[in-house]
Amino acid sequence: MSGVLSLKPSYYEALKRLTLELAGVHLGDDHAFLVETRLGVLARQEGYQNLNQMVDDLFGQGQTRLAIKVVSSLLERDTHFNPDPDGLSIIESYLFPALQKSSKGQPVKILSFACSSGQEPYSLAIMVKKFRQLHPDFQASILGVDYPSPALTRAQDGQYTHFEVQRGLPIRDLISYFDRAGEDWVVKPSLRAMVEFKEFHLLSKLDALGEFDLVLFRNSLAYYSSPAQIRVIRSLSSIVKHDRYLMFGSKEDLPSSSYNFDKVEGYKNLLVKHPKPVVAEVEPDLPKPPPKEYVPDGAKAKPARP
Amino acid sequence: MKTCLVVDNSKMIRRVAGRILTEMKFNAEEAENGLEALNFCRGKMPEAILLDWNMPVMDGLTFVKTLRQEPGGTTPVILFCTSERDVIKISEALNAGADEYIMKPFDSDIIASKFYQVGLLG
Repeated sequence: MSGVLSLKPSYYEALKRLTLELAGVHLGDDHAFLVETRLGVLARQEGYQNLNQMVDDLFGQGQTRLAIKVVSSLLERDTHFNPDPDGLSIIESYLFPALQKSSKGQPVKILSFACSSGQEPYSLAIMVKKFRQLHPDFQASILGVDYPSPALTRAQDGQYTHFEVQRGLPIRDLISYFDRAGEDWVVKPSLRAMVEFKEFHLLSKLDALGEFDLVLFRNSLAYYSSPAQIRVIRSLSSIVKHDRYLMFGSKEDLPSSSYNFDKVEGYKNLLVKHPKPVVAEVEPDLPKPPPKEYVPDGAKAKPARP
Repeated sequence: MKTCLVVDNSKMIRRVAGRILTEMKFNAEEAENGLEALNFCRGKMPEAILLDWNMPVMDGLTFVKTLRQEPGGTTPVILFCTSERDVIKISEALNAGADEYIMKPFDSDIIASKFYQVGLLG
């Protein structure tokens, strides 16, 4: 460990374990500098004199609120506007038209899972606004969720630096959907109104979020441990409506198990949830069929598909 | 190899931008003002032009308006690269025929991102 770094080495291991347990994410061995800089900032914000004092408190007193803040600071990602343009063009050219058709005038519900500082949900809101110019009856609501963190607070403020707005955002979108705020730029109220943000523990039960027509969970999966990957995809499966979509990053390897999803042909990062199972109507007065005992070879009944 | 003409009266900016462009596998050429740039383009149209606004002899806005009227002058992708941040100024540049707009200060991420948006990077 370099002499520049101040944190006791045993604490690095403890912080890595904490991140894995709380968020299911493996921190790499090259994170020592990140730990120092990000947690140094957090320690000051939380009123500690130095980083060691905060970490002493964290592990000495086992504060859950502080633990979540520490982990979310460590997990904060550098996100861009219009991240993963290949994925966005699928939303524009395939998903919006498909969802418009199937939603029959109802608002399409979109979830940006692990939204960090909010560039993805705002990019989606811009896409919705543009799509609506051609299809005025298209309605959508966008929710961004992530751990409580300074990044999520920035998302809620909708304020971005000169550097952030120039990464991924075309200039025409910048001047159409943002206002200048000194050196920074802030999303216009009409765009802000389309997006809601919520603090959420991403590995907790997701049912409280409601059900969605489209869930975006992009470029995060690889950081999760295998058990956490399974847990998060299972949970996501419970909040995607039947016949609706879960989208990963366009360069991500998708999980091999299906978790109630099928791959959408031609779009390798897109999954569609199985249709709602059709429950056979049983006449209550009819005698029960005899228990299955024997099925002759070659005559196995196919399961009913809707 | 695609050529990008860097038009700026600051030698330092031309050097910094030139280095970023070379890393992006562009052939970077330089001009000190709009008139020099116009003469360069009359010889051979570059694929891209990174253009400052305020320059002596001929400014960036006059250069765009003039170039877009010349034979073959609609081909180059023009990206303003200037410290002007006023929304009215940005609109003026776009209306004059610029394709994108970079506000100084910039870094290699911003240049790469803007070049990608206008289709200069695959």
